[in-house]
Parts: sequence; structure tokens; C-alpha cells
Amino acid sequence: MLGQQWPYAVATLLFAAGMWLLLPRARPQGRPIGAGLVCAGLALLTLLVHFGLAVGVEGQPYWSWQAGLPHGGAAAVDIVFLVLAAVTVLSAVAAVTLPSPVYCAIWFGMTLLGTAALFLYQGAQFLALATVVVYAGAILVTFLFVLMLAHPEGDAYYDRLSWEAMLSACAGAVLVGILTMTTLQAFRDPGPTISTKAQSPQVAQARATGILASEHVASLGGQLFSSHLVSVEVAGTLLLVALVGAIAIVAQASGNRLDRMGHVGEMGRAEATGRAVGGPTHV
Amino acid sequence: MSELQLLYNYLIVGALLFGIGLIGFLSRRNMIVMFLAAEMMLQGVSVSLVAWGRFHNDWGGQVLVVFIITVAACEAGIALALVLMLFHRAGKLDIAFWQNIRESNQPRFVDHELPADGEAVGQHWPKLTPSGIEPPAKEEELVHRIHV
Repeated sequence: MLGQQWPYAVATLLFAAGMWLLLPRARPQGRPIGAGLVCAGLALLTLLVHFGLAVGVEGQPYWSWQAGLPHGGAAAVDIVFLVLAAVTVLSAVAAVTLPSPVYCAIWFGMTLLGTAALFLYQGAQFLALATVVVYAGAILVTFLFVLMLAHPEGDAYYDRLSWEAMLSACAGAVLVGILTMTTLQAFRDPGPTISTKAQSPQVAQARATGILASEHVASLGGQLFSSHLVSVEVAGTLLLVALVGAIAIVAQASGNRLDRMGHVGEMGRAEATGRAVGGPTHV
Repeated sequence: MSELQLLYNYLIVGALLFGIGLIGFLSRRNMIVMFLAAEMMLQGVSVSLVAWGRFHNDWGGQVLVVFIITVAACEAGIALALVLMLFHRAGKLDIAFWQNIRESNQPRFVDHELPADGEAVGQHWPKLTPSGIEPPAKEEELVHRIHV
């Protein structure tokens, strides 16, 4: 059993080493090698997933590509999905590893577009649109706006450093490796419920009227405002509370700035000198 | 692709997004980039939820993702307001500046090796002629800044 899992270990190791080399460090060496290693790890993972290299049945070699696919069928490599997934994941890697936070935000926007395309590919039209409008249109622009406000001096030294680059790269890569392995092995011998669920004609017919219905947005809206009406109300309240909270936080901060500029009396002045050192003063 | 292949492909893309976001959140020191990484982890979860919803022909996955987007918007608003406030207090976005709020039994973090100056990586700034007496630098700043 354990002997079948070495390809996952290799992919995890390649991915972890590549991420470690890519993350900003005090001496940034080997970043091209890191990019190559990450690509190699992801490519190996793709091979494992698509050609069932490691979901092989006991006794058959890994290189008999079609041996161990779930349900024994030949791998249907979907080029569109592969391209979308590659764009999403590679721009995610770039967003996490580039030193300049502005480039991080822009590559994160690319990740969001890739995710939106993946949603669309699943038939989730409204979510694709909402991701582009809310995430890429509002949240990302707010990120860039705050970056412009708070980061006027180009690359700071702390953008070219990481906490424990090797440990965090290993943690993330091991998480990915274990999740991939358990996912694929869970589907290696799918129980009767899963296989019938995916293939039975009743389900196929239900799909036509269910989640893949032509009136997608109307159906989703119907679901939202019938079974999840209370949740929608709570979400609206949450948005209002978040708005009030953000304004309260910013108002408090600008009050502090006034203190520091000396527009207040003695008490405020003493407090301001304490704050000018920056942050809590105890060590 | 069959429905099953679609499901596990999407689950693995979601796992990758989550893992990459985890790496970024653990390792980066810029607060804004940390929040970007946290949002990326949310994206990974959303991808998995949409895939499960499709597989089970259930609207629950997509409805949950709608709420994830709502909560992410709230989170981003509050987090960025907080980041701006912290920036006004500290003068930088470095999360290590706030290590005084760590547990009392944890050792203090000190940068042992600082990266090369910005000019070494292609940044150029105008030089001003220094005038007057240089004030003594504070120890706290000597730990964190290379220019003093």
C-alpha cells in the first residue's frame, strides 16, 4: 500500500522545494530553479490525476497509464480544464511568491479570473459573474487602493523576507499532497452510492432540471430567497455591521493622527508621544 | 470528462489553491499580502463547494459560495481598515512590528539577515544632502530598519 504512494511524495517534495526557492528570502538565489521545480511538481500531480499513474491496481506497474483509472476507462484529458487550472494555480503561486505587493495583487486578480472561469465551466454562471464583480472588481481594487495609500516607497525590506520559508512551504505542500492522495484514493474504489449517483439516467434527467437548468440565475435566486431567506437577511445585516465597524476603526485611527499632530491638550499630547514610538511600548 | 472526473479535478484544484494560500499566509510579512493569501484559501474552498454541488445536483454548494463571497467582502473591508490603522501607528506594513502582542513565553523575533538594499535590485531614489546632526536612533528601529 505504502509503495504506491511514492509519486505523491515526489510531487510534494518538488512542490515544497520549488515554493521554498520562490519565496522571498534575504538572499534570493535560485528563483528560476524554484519556478521550474514548482512546474515539475504540478505537472507530476497532473499526470497522477489525469492518467491515474498512482491509482494503479496492486501488481500493475505505474507506467501502464490506463491501468488504474477509476472505472477503468481511458483518461479523457480535457484541454480547456487543464488550461484554466494551470492559469489559476500558476498565478496563485506568483501572487504568493512575488516580492512586490502590487504584483501580488495583480496576479491574485488573475487567479480570481481563472477561478471565475472554472466556476463557469461547472455551470455556475452567477458565481462566475459575482467573483469577477465582487472580488476582482471591488475587493482587489480596495487592496490596490490601500497599497497605494500605505506603501508609497517602493519595495520595503519586509517584502523581501519571509517567516520560515522552508517550514511554511513544507506545511502547504504536505497539505496539498495528503489532500490529493486521499481524494484520488477515495475515488479509486468508489462505493456503489457514488458510481450510481454519477451515472444513473434518473440523475442525468434531474440534472437537466436541477443545477444545470437553462434558467440558472432564476433557479439560484429562487433557492436563495426560499430555503435560505433567513441567511440572506443575516448576510445583509453582516454587511451593514461590517460597514459600521470599518468606519469606526478608520475614524479612531484618524483621531490618533490628530493627536500626534498636537491639536489636543496635555493628556492627548502625552499619549501621542507614547504612540509616536510605534505600537505598544512594553517589551 | 465524466462527472466523477470533474469532481476530483476540481477538488484537487481547490486543494492546491488552499495550500498555496496557506504557504503565503504563513510566510509573508506584508499584512496586505497576508490578507490576499487568506482570500485565496477562501477561493479554494469555494471551488470545492461548487464541484460538490454539481456532483450532487444540489444548490447548497453554490448558495454557500454566495455567502462566502459576502463574508469575504465584509472581511476585506474590516481588515483593510484595520491595516490602514496599524500602518498609521507603525509607519509600515510589517507584521513583525506588532510582535509585542505575542505570548509572554515566546522569544522575541529578530531579523538575522536582511536582504540587499533596494538599489541592488534595481530601485533608484534621489539622494538628499544630509544637514544638521543625526539624531540617535532608537534600538527598536535599529532592529527593523536598515537605513538607520
